[in-house]
Amino acid sequence: MKNLLKIPLYLLLIALGFFVVTFTVYFFNLDMKATAMLAPLLEKWYDRLERKQYI
Amino acid sequence: MKTVEKVVNPVRRAGEQSPGRIYDEKLKVRARREWRGVKDTFYDYTRWLYLLSVLGRFILVPRNVKGFFRYRWMMSYLFVPHGMDKFTIGLRDEALRIAHTSFNFVIADVTQAIANCFRGDRRVGNDKAYSDKCVITDENSMVTFMMGFDRDKVHTILREVPTMFASNIFHQFNVMHYLDIAQQYGIPGDVCPMPEAEAGISIEDDFCVLGCCAVQNNTTCDGSLMGNGIIAKRLDREYGIPTFQLATPLRHKEPDVLEYAAQEIRNAIAFVEEHTGEKWDWDLYFKAARRVNYATKCRIAQLEINSTPYPQFFGAAFSLYNDTNYMGNSGRDPAFVGIDRKLLELAEQGYKAKRMYAGEYRHRAIVWGVQPQYVIDMLYWMVQCWGVVPLADMLSIINTDMIADEDTPENREQAYRDMAMLNMEMIMRNHTHGGYKVLLDDLWDLCEKMNADVVMMWEHMSCKALTGMHGMFEEQGRARGIHVMWVTHDLCDPRVFTRQAIRDQVNNYMRTVMREEPLDPSLENIPDNEAY
Repeated sequence: MKNLLKIPLYLLLIALGFFVVTFTVYFFNLDMKATAMLAPLLEKWYDRLERKQYI
Repeated sequence: MKTVEKVVNPVRRAGEQSPGRIYDEKLKVRARREWRGVKDTFYDYTRWLYLLSVLGRFILVPRNVKGFFRYRWMMSYLFVPHGMDKFTIGLRDEALRIAHTSFNFVIADVTQAIANCFRGDRRVGNDKAYSDKCVITDENSMVTFMMGFDRDKVHTILREVPTMFASNIFHQFNVMHYLDIAQQYGIPGDVCPMPEAEAGISIEDDFCVLGCCAVQNNTTCDGSLMGNGIIAKRLDREYGIPTFQLATPLRHKEPDVLEYAAQEIRNAIAFVEEHTGEKWDWDLYFKAARRVNYATKCRIAQLEINSTPYPQFFGAAFSLYNDTNYMGNSGRDPAFVGIDRKLLELAEQGYKAKRMYAGEYRHRAIVWGVQPQYVIDMLYWMVQCWGVVPLADMLSIINTDMIADEDTPENREQAYRDMAMLNMEMIMRNHTHGGYKVLLDDLWDLCEKMNADVVMMWEHMSCKALTGMHGMFEEQGRARGIHVMWVTHDLCDPRVFTRQAIRDQVNNYMRTVMREEPLDPSLENIPDNEAY
C-alpha cells in the first residue's frame, strides 16, 4: 500500500524531469543548434550519392 | 500623401521587449528562443513539443528514414522548429495562437504529403497498389479537378510542395543546389527561380517517382512553362507516367474564355478517370464545394477584421494557410473546416480585446507582388520593427464568390464553370495575369477598402509579369497619395539579395522618406544572412 502511494510521486518526478530537460532544450534552442552541426555532414552525404542527371 | 491614424497599444508586451537580441551572427540558428512571459512561453513550448511529435512520428516509419537519406531537400525538414520560430517573432496572446494554429496545421499537412510521396515512391516505399491510385499535380495548381474523387481511393500528390516550395521556407540555402544544376544544363538564370529550381530537381532526379498519371498547369509565367516541359518529359519518357496539360486561359476576366476553361476541366477529369479507374462522384464534389464556400466566408471575415484598426490574422501564416487550404486542398479535406472555425474564433476574440502585434501601428500596408521564400517572416519583422502593419497580401486576395454547392442537374453544369473559374483565378494567376485591372485597379480598390496608406511592393526581379508595370505603380500611387515602397528580391535565391539587403530597403524607405525611427531598434539589423 505504501509503495502504491509512491506511484503518483514518481510520476510527478518523471513529469518534472521531462519538463526541466525539454524546456532547457527548447529555451536555449539546443535542438536546432545540434541540427545545425549535423547539416554539413548531411550535405556531404547527399553530395556523394550518385544521380542520373537528365534533361 | 494619405495618412492613417496611429494606433498605440496601451498594454506593454509580456516578456522581453527586444527580440532582435536572440540572433547571433556566429550561429546558423537563433541563440535562444524568445521569452514571452510565463503563459505564452509555456504555450509556445507545448507547440514545440507538438511539432517534435509530428516529426518523431514521421521518422519512426522505416521507409521515411530511407527517403530522408535519399533526397537532399529532406534536410530542410530538420529545421521545422527553426522555421516555426520565424513565424512567431514578437507575438503574444491570440496572435501567437493564430500563427501556431494555422502554420502547425500546414506543417502537419506537408509532413503527410512527404509520407504519401515516400509510400508510393519507386525508390523508397514502392507501394505499387498505392502508387497506381496517385495523381501528381503541380505545386502552383488548384486541385479543383480532384474535388469529386474519393480521397481514400484516389490520392492527390502535390509533389513539388514538400520538395521545393515548403523546404525553402525552413532552409534558405537548400534550393541553391538545384538552381545551379538547372543552370549547368543551360537554363537561363533570369527566369523565376521557383520553377527553375523545380526543373533542377527533375534534372537531378531528386523528385519522388510515383503515380499513375500527372496533371500539369500552365501556371503563371515563362519559367513555369519551361519547367513543366522538362519535368513532363522525364515523367513521361523515362518513368512512363502520362502527363495531362491543363491549359488554363490567362485572360480570366474575359467572359468568353469560361466555356473553354470548363471544357479543359472536363478533359482533366476524364483523364484522371481513365488512368485511375475511379469515377467522379457528384455527391463528394458538392460536399467539397460547401467546404470551399465555408473557407471563402472565413477568409472574407478575416479580411474584414483586418480592415479595422485591430487586424488579427495576417503575414506569412495567413498567406501560406490560404495557399494550402484554397489551392492544395480545395475543399477535399474536412479537417480544414475546424481549423478555419478556430482561426476565426481566435481572430474575433483578439479583435474584441483590441490585441496588437506591436506597440504601435503607424502605417497600414497592402502587400503586393510575391514574397521571397527565404525571408518569409519579413512581414512580422516589418510590424515589429517599424509599426507597418501588413493588412493583406496579394496571394491571399483570391476568389470571394460562392460556388454552386447543391446537387441539381443545372448545378452539375455550373460546377464545371465554377471549377474553371477557381482554376483560372488561382493564387498568383488571378493578379499577375488577366490584365491591367487585376494587377493595378484591384490594388487601389483594396487600399481604399482596407484604409491603407502604404503599398509594400515585392519586386521579384525575375518576374516579368510584375516588373513590366513598375512605372504604372509609381505613377498611380503618386496620384492617389499612397506610398509605394519597393522591395526587390529573387524569390528563392539568397545569393542575389540577402535577407538583410531586403530588410534594408524598408529601413531606408522608413528613415529617408517617412523620416521615422524604428519601434524596436534591435531588429533593424539582424545577423541572420548565414542562418538557415
